[in-house]
Amino acid sequence: MLDGTGSMGVFKDIKNLLIGMRITGKHLGRHAITIQYPEEKWTMPERSRGVVVLLSDKETGELNCTGCMLCMRACPTAAIEIDAPRGEDKKRTLKVFNVDNALCCYCGLCEEACNFSALKMATMYEYSTPDKGDLFWDMKKLQEAGRDVPYEDKRKKKKAKPVEAAPTKEATPVKEDTQTGPPPPDDKASDTAEKEDEG
Amino acid sequence: MPELRTEEFQVNMGPHHPATHGVCRMILTMDGEKIVKIEPVIGYLHRALEKICENRTYAQCIPVTDRFEYVTAMSCNQVFAMAAERLAGIEVPERAEYLRVIMLELNRIASHLIFYGVTAMDLGALTPFLYGLREREAIIDLFEMTCGQRLTYNYIRVGGVAKDIPKEFIPKCHEAIDVITEKMSDYEGLLNENPIWLVRTKGIGVMPAKLGIDYGVSGPVLRASGVDYDIRRDDPYSIYDKFDWKPAVHQNGDCFDRYLIRLDEIKQSIKIIKQALEGLPEGDIKAKVSPNFKPPAGEVYARVENSRGELGIYIQSDGGKKPLRVKMRGGSYCQLQALPYFGTNCFIADLVAIFATLDIILPEVDR
Repeated sequence: MLDGTGSMGVFKDIKNLLIGMRITGKHLGRHAITIQYPEEKWTMPERSRGVVVLLSDKETGELNCTGCMLCMRACPTAAIEIDAPRGEDKKRTLKVFNVDNALCCYCGLCEEACNFSALKMATMYEYSTPDKGDLFWDMKKLQEAGRDVPYEDKRKKKKAKPVEAAPTKEATPVKEDTQTGPPPPDDKASDTAEKEDEG
Repeated sequence: MPELRTEEFQVNMGPHHPATHGVCRMILTMDGEKIVKIEPVIGYLHRALEKICENRTYAQCIPVTDRFEYVTAMSCNQVFAMAAERLAGIEVPERAEYLRVIMLELNRIASHLIFYGVTAMDLGALTPFLYGLREREAIIDLFEMTCGQRLTYNYIRVGGVAKDIPKEFIPKCHEAIDVITEKMSDYEGLLNENPIWLVRTKGIGVMPAKLGIDYGVSGPVLRASGVDYDIRRDDPYSIYDKFDWKPAVHQNGDCFDRYLIRLDEIKQSIKIIKQALEGLPEGDIKAKVSPNFKPPAGEVYARVENSRGELGIYIQSDGGKKPLRVKMRGGSYCQLQALPYFGTNCFIADLVAIFATLDIILPEVDR
């Protein structure tokens, strides 16, 4: 302590202050660990949860979404809006898919609920805008944003299984996918899930 | 000669004060430079989290708990998941329990590193802040790699965890805790013997153990007053009883001991993480739980030890898919309510030290 320890205490205090200075002194001449943001950017980790995008089929270019509304029900902030009325053949056609990014809380529950690889939280995080209305993304904009987003297609793997007895190497699911694996993605599964929800 | 009259006056500290770690207003009644009375005014950050939870399904509540106590969001996830699991009788796979413990302890270290930096900064030392946040970055990178977020993790789910760890996690985790172990001597060297630091913290704001117990204070703040009580050991949850560690206890209950105990806890957490990484089994990471599961009617209280004391969640269920009533209990709230009883009779600068070493986080107080 500074007071009441006599003349020896002063030397001890000075010594202890010098110890601290030596620790900070070790950092002299080292490079900064910060980066200059707009010029340099982090490469975001693969799982990083940024903006929600809609994924398209790699071959046909059409949206993977079937309009089953599982993501809409999973969303805790009601940021997703879907309108997919059933046609005469009882199949859903996707008409409206809106995401209000101002409401989105980036929890990733929608991505987890989806059985059809229809949407993903991409690593993109730079979409700030001076106008709040621009945060409301419609289907076209979501599809455009998800055009180049790499993803693993959950549907094809599952479809390939019953057709081919031995799945090819690419079709073999990654370990973690088998553990968190979704239920078989047929229309029935999503329909029953809907009924459960409504009940 | 006229008689010299003195009278008490009031000073507002906050709501926007850099040393209040959030938005907390304290009405201080001063006698000269001494504080005679402290009246904390809370509620500036109230977001009705409990009510929000009552309008969400159990799965949707987890992202809400991220916002409850955002410095250790993992333990908030954990306590809600634990409560829901007890209510519905869900068994958690062993691998998931190990992953949870690793994440919880990493999060505890990250929180204590913030404490180390911010407390030192409040008392005028900027270097520890930069050091603490630098090492925390390594831990946050591990979280981002695993669950995709840096602060609101939403990682622990009812019945397990959301995703398995990526391949590079274990080597990177070893690397991170090795760096922190190495840097511990730097942290201690900067402050433990520093004469300015000692004058600012030793013997300041002594909280008697009895007072702490009376006001429900728990966690490191109570252990710094000599009460050997840690929920991880005394009411073991998850798999904490499998590991060899012991809670750090200090006797004086002043600001300095409250600071030391955090550094000791970092060492204990590193010990737990090393054992958990070693014993990490293979297997499932999540039990099969429907996203809209309906637990039977009943009530449950689950609690965990987080870096600010006992974090508890009480859930009452009526058998529906949404909880009927959710009550959150945080450690900071109890520390803040005990503050007026031991924080008086000191200078405002000392109150800053007391407030900082209590490590109060205001979103958790106001919830």
